[in-house]
Order: sequence, then structure tokens, then C-alpha cells
Amino acid sequence: MSTLHELQHRFMDYLLAESTAVVNDIESTSMLGAEDRLDIYASAYKLRLKEAITTDYDKLASYLGDEQFDQLMERYIDQYPSHADSLRYFSVNLPELVRDEAPFNQVKELYEIALIERAFANSFDAKDLQFATLDELASLPAEAWATLQFSFQESVQILHLKYNSFPIWKALSDEGKPPKSERTGLTEWVLWRRSNLVSHYRVLSKAESLLIDLAIKGESFPVMCERLLDFFSEEETPMKAIGFLQSWIQEEMLSGFSF
Amino acid sequence: MERPFLGFGLGLRTDHYQYVIENKPQVDWFEIISENYMVPGGKPLTNLDRIRQDYPMVMHGVSMSIGSTDPLNQTYLQKLKTLIDRVEPKWISDHLCWTSVNHINSHDLLPLPYNESTIEHIVGRIKHVQDVLGRQMLIENLSSYVTYNNSEMPEWEFVNEIAKRADCYILLDINNIFVSANNHHFEPEHYVNGIDSDRVMQFHLAGHSYNGDMIIDTHDHDVCDPVWDLYGYALERFGAVSTMIERDDNIPPFIALRQELEIAEKIAANVLTKEQLQITSDPALKGVA
Repeated sequence: MSTLHELQHRFMDYLLAESTAVVNDIESTSMLGAEDRLDIYASAYKLRLKEAITTDYDKLASYLGDEQFDQLMERYIDQYPSHADSLRYFSVNLPELVRDEAPFNQVKELYEIALIERAFANSFDAKDLQFATLDELASLPAEAWATLQFSFQESVQILHLKYNSFPIWKALSDEGKPPKSERTGLTEWVLWRRSNLVSHYRVLSKAESLLIDLAIKGESFPVMCERLLDFFSEEETPMKAIGFLQSWIQEEMLSGFSF
Repeated sequence: MERPFLGFGLGLRTDHYQYVIENKPQVDWFEIISENYMVPGGKPLTNLDRIRQDYPMVMHGVSMSIGSTDPLNQTYLQKLKTLIDRVEPKWISDHLCWTSVNHINSHDLLPLPYNESTIEHIVGRIKHVQDVLGRQMLIENLSSYVTYNNSEMPEWEFVNEIAKRADCYILLDINNIFVSANNHHFEPEHYVNGIDSDRVMQFHLAGHSYNGDMIIDTHDHDVCDPVWDLYGYALERFGAVSTMIERDDNIPPFIALRQELEIAEKIAANVLTKEQLQITSDPALKGVA
């Protein structure tokens, strides 16, 4: 008699359409044969995974249309069998498949729309941290500024986009007609969740994008200011840096300081 | 055993968060799907915490894969323990099934062969889970569409034996009994009669769909009359058992689900006495020694 492990292996192979050997382990009845009974599970397997993908990438689904999105989902399900405890994390690699494989990689904005949708999902249930306040900033001792470092909310994500993918995403989100795809040049966007649990996004200047990148990497405030000199004069730089810092606090991107 | 009784509950679903938070409707308790809250933070946990302030909860899992031949997922168990500490549920449950093998998750509740070697395998795993979590758990009977050639006993004997040897409890899904009875040609009452009464801790009720002659456990319809009849039959056999309705698709407004739960309350009031339907004040299960 086969072991339980072998039986489960054969069953999983049936779900993955790799082998039908498990048919011999299943009783057929006058109501329904073994294969038809197994097909109930095989259909449910795909249906459930497709529901999860569609939930996570509903704008991409609208943009691609049913037929092509179904083709994408079939490909993803074949190539990325789930290793996740929860369906929430099943589709996390979808943007990479869209980026890497034809025909999806021939429509460049598709990858970026997928990235935007994944970023929203990640911000939705990112860890809850404290929100840094302007009062805390004001009460920092003078000596803190020499080594000051910043912690961001875990929902903060920077997206580097080359197409007008955010306007396309927004139109899809509003169930409107998306604008024609066009290359915009590299633009940095920040996406994060505020204290009201709603995710926000906005475009970043090159200077602010660099500054956030440095801050997230743990660079200190003086180092960040030094790099800002590439964008601003020596006179402007301190006020610009403080201005960015204040806006990050007011927009609830920062979780705290250390020095 | 004197069975604790929570009363009548509903499955907590995202569609109803706002209504429940704003209106605090009368429901004795909610059951949550554990995996929906195994996330770092944000809306799911914030809403969970808000609703938990006002209602007792139980936790119901779908990914423990207690019947799998993969090693138990210790990371999953730690996440479950963290959530238990947060929610402080009256009890926790999962399904008597396997969901994954070779670390590939089907995200489905797949059936097991009902034989002695499977029992031994699962009993050891439930004992381990109960040790890790420091508490007893409930195991739920499935809806199923296949029978394995190497099954050697009826499902109810399999369930009983595991519950007895692992010293855990049974979450008896009345709809699942009805579905499997149709799909495997047995009398649902025979199943109810075969279950050890002192192990039953909770009932599930749900709707289903027909696919030809087969019934599929879709949770997308109201509970049908034959399942209500079977529920009444089960109450006669087991007495007061904490009861809830699961709805996972085609989800109606909260008020409609609450009205459906009244049917369960009325059936219970017809079958049982007021004394039997007294809600237990502190029904948390004991931790395992």
C-alpha cells in the first residue's frame, strides 16, 4: 500500500496537471467517476488562485481584458506554485513575470501597473508604527543633529516609473478610460499609508527621492545635506532639508528619529 | 464534560467591518479566519482590534495542514500563537485535512484516507500543535468529493478516534455532513449519531451549490432547509452547541445574515430549554498540561 506522503504527492500532481496517477487511488461510483471527482478539486484549485490574483491586480485585469489576464494568470499559476501560508501572498511575484516574459513584457506599462498594485497591497497591511511629530523634531537636543537618523513607516515605498502608469492606474481605479500609454522619463513616486489607514501617493523630485533613499539606508542628516548640495546652493540646502523633513512628518511618513 | 456554550455567532467578513463597528449589532460572538490577520498591521488588524473590544471571538484556520506529510510549519504556528495572544479567542480550530505537500500550498481543504496509519500520523501532529500553543484545539470535518481506496472506516469513526487520542475537540460542520452524505451516499443522521457527543464544541452552518448530482461546499447561499433539519437533529443529540453561520461568497448585507442566524436561534429554542441555552460566562478551553 502506498504511503500517505506518496498519495498526497500524487494528489498534488493532479492539481498541478503533472500526473493523473492518483485516479487509481480514488473510488468511482455510479454517480461520478474518480477523474470527474478529482476534477472538482482541480477546478477549485485554479479558480481560487485566480480569484486571489484578480483581487490583488484588479486594475491590471481591467487594463489587459479578460482573455489576456486569464492567460497571464494561467502562466503565473503554472510557474509559481504557492509556497505561502495565506493567499494574501500568493501573487507577490506577478510583476516580475510581467516584466520578464512575452507577450506581457512588450507592453511596458503593464509591469509598472502591476508594481503599483503590489505596492498598494503592501502598504495596506504594513506594520503599524508610531508617527513622528513636529514637536519631537523641535525638542531634539542640538547635539542630535550631527548623527540624526530617520525611521520611515514600513508602508513607505518608492516606485521608479518610466511611463504614465500612475495616471493609467488612477483612471482604471475610477473606472474611467485610461490615457494612452506614453514614456515620461524616469519619475519617482512615493506611496505610503497614513494614520487614517488610507494609502497615499505623490511624485517626488529627484532631490527628495535621493534624500528618502539615503534616509532609508540609514545615512545621517549631515550626509543627506551634503548630497543635497548636488541640487541646491549651500545657502538653500539646510532649509530645503528641513523642509523635506517637516513634510515627511506632516504627511505621516516618518516613524521616529535616532541619534 | 460540561460543554461551554457561546451562543450564536457569525463569521466576521471584511464586507461587514464598517457595519459592525458603527452599529454594534447583537451577535453573541464572531469567528475570524486566522490567516486573514497574519499580516504585519494596517486595516485588517485595526478593524479586528476594534471589533474584538465588543465581541467574544473564536479563531478558525485554513492553513495548518494538520494532515500533511510535510513537517508542521513552525513559522505558521508561531504566527498563530502571536495572533492568539492578540485576540484571546475562546478557542481555535482548523480542518481535519491537508492543504500542502512538498511545501506547495493548494489553498484547498483536501481529504485524507480514513485508516489507522493516518490517525496515528495526525494524532501526533495535533498533540504537537497543542503543546506549542499551550491549549486544546478543535478539528473540523470536511466536505469531500472523493473517497480513497485505502480508507478503512467511516469518516465519523476517523474523527472520533483522532479527537479521543489527541484529546482535542470537534467542530462539527452540519452542512459538510450533508454535502458529504450526498456525495458519498450515506445518511447524514447516521454521521451525527456516530460522533462522540462529549468531543463536540462548535457547529458550523453554511449554504452550498449543486454541480450535477454532486454538492459543492461553496458557502455562497443561505443555509437550506434539509441542513436546518439536520441542525435540529444534531441539537437533539448533542444539546446546546455554540453555532455560527459561515458565508464566504455572494455575501449579503449584515442584517440579512443576522436574520438567518435567527433561524438557528429559533430551532435551538424549540429543541432545547432556556437553561440549556444559557451562555457560559467564561468558556475558554483549558490549556494542555
